[in-house]
Amino acid sequence: MAVWRNFLILTRYKANFLFEILTSVLVGGFMLLFSAAFDTSMLGQTVGSTNYVAFMIFGISFQNWQGTAMWSAADTFRGELSSGQIDYTFSSPFSRYWYIVSNIAANAVQSTIFFIPMFCVGLWFTSDTLSVTGISLGLMATMLSVAALSQFGAIFAALVLQYRQVTAIFGFFNLAFQFLTGMFIPFQLLPTPLQVLGWCLPITFGMDMLRHYVMRTNPLMPVEYEWLALFVQLLAMSVMAKFMVAWLERNAKEQGLHYI
Amino acid sequence: MYAITCNGLVKEYKTQKLVRALDDVTFDVAEGEVFGLLGPNGAGKTTLVKILATLLRPTQGSAEVGGHDIAKEEDMVRRVIGYAGQDSERSAYFRLTVRENLMYFSHALRDVPVKTAEERIESIVSAIGFEERLDKHFIALSGGEKQLVIVIRAIVHEPKVCFLDEPSKSLDPLTAKRVRSFLKSYALEKGMTICLTTHNMKEAEEICDRIAFINRGRLRFIGTPKEFKNVVTVKEVVEIANFELDKVIEARLLAIQGVSNVTKSDGNVRIYCDDAFDVLKSVFNFLSDIGIKAHVSMIEPTLEDAFAIFVGSDSTEGK
Repeated sequence: MAVWRNFLILTRYKANFLFEILTSVLVGGFMLLFSAAFDTSMLGQTVGSTNYVAFMIFGISFQNWQGTAMWSAADTFRGELSSGQIDYTFSSPFSRYWYIVSNIAANAVQSTIFFIPMFCVGLWFTSDTLSVTGISLGLMATMLSVAALSQFGAIFAALVLQYRQVTAIFGFFNLAFQFLTGMFIPFQLLPTPLQVLGWCLPITFGMDMLRHYVMRTNPLMPVEYEWLALFVQLLAMSVMAKFMVAWLERNAKEQGLHYI
Repeated sequence: MYAITCNGLVKEYKTQKLVRALDDVTFDVAEGEVFGLLGPNGAGKTTLVKILATLLRPTQGSAEVGGHDIAKEEDMVRRVIGYAGQDSERSAYFRLTVRENLMYFSHALRDVPVKTAEERIESIVSAIGFEERLDKHFIALSGGEKQLVIVIRAIVHEPKVCFLDEPSKSLDPLTAKRVRSFLKSYALEKGMTICLTTHNMKEAEEICDRIAFINRGRLRFIGTPKEFKNVVTVKEVVEIANFELDKVIEARLLAIQGVSNVTKSDGNVRIYCDDAFDVLKSVFNFLSDIGIKAHVSMIEPTLEDAFAIFVGSDSTEGK
């Protein structure tokens, strides 16, 4: 239903909808220009592929999904808190945890629609290495890592209930995750202490596997271990998120859910 | 069987100083009853409703809604309640129509089957004459119409107990009357218990089987609207028509022997006293002193007067 709601709103304003897609096409076009100006030998030495365009496009895709996974539910709660809708939401029996997750999923679907053109540019640039199995496994790893990251999003959303204003906290983590996970800079170039932090984040494995399966880059570790790590992270973060959401809601209700 | 039971509810907020918003509130509401919570601004009505709707946790005391403990069985309570808060202006999706909003909330959050939700929405809006607005965007509605949508949202899943925080706020008098009449008959037909907050004495009189009067977080009275009025029939009211009330005049009127409270309502000043005959003479003397000619009369106390007297006596107590 959350997807239905978002899709209704999205397609109702047709000019806006069209320009969202055009923007995505434009970013893809800029990436084509960008590729001509870049020295790819460094990339070949570190990740095993010189395809910098695809490397960057998949990085941008993950940046987009990361933003959605981590922030969309918190943004929904922020809006509901200031509008008063939060009272209705929280007086309903619908699970708070699933309410958050379904809002993230709805926003992820929405943002993916606009990323399809640009993503296709990325895939076109990987036509030499692309296979149906590769793209399927790559997207599966992506979905798992975004699902795991959504658990962070659930915690951020619940933090909004408690602290009302968490934009700066989100901004800090959003930027840190971009650097720590090899989104735009090859992970192998990071100093070891930063790599250790990066191992703890699901985006690192999701992105590495997408690039590995689609671009045939060298994986950070044997892919079986990366799959295992992703599953463990998803499980651990889900448990942590469910607990945190319940705990933060209980605390928020001591003072009332509204801005005071 | 009671739909709502409250036992010694206390709510304290720890801000810069400790604020006691509710103080030892105890009452019961029978199944199918329309129950009104009355009181001035900041009395604790909304806090009480929010606690019962599981949106706030009480500091002390216990309560049950629909037979479920609000602290231990929150989910069960939420399954049997409907809730309409005061923030109606923005509390639905702007870019969705009224129908789409109601469908989304009833189906997605309340699990009402799509077909059933459609039928109920049609039936409710036609009962209150709101059909023409059904396919309008929420943002295009007036304040009163938005309020109406929020009230419909609270009942469309046919809850056992419905909490309505100032349901007729922003409604024009005719619509408010139509909505009150609909709510009363809907509650009767569905066996739904309604607990509403209001400042509107007329509303309380028209729709409520019983009312509770809250001031400063304490329950001051509980009974029927008629009983509430009877509580103050011992008081009499002297009204000065079209008269300006400032602090000096208010102080002079309050200084008259036997006057317990002075309020202003619809441009008229109302003087509450034990014996209107005694007070009338002093009021005439006072008006003559300040050189003003005004129409002075003795009137029957209304529920609104009872409200004013209760608030007045509480503030005197506070001093």
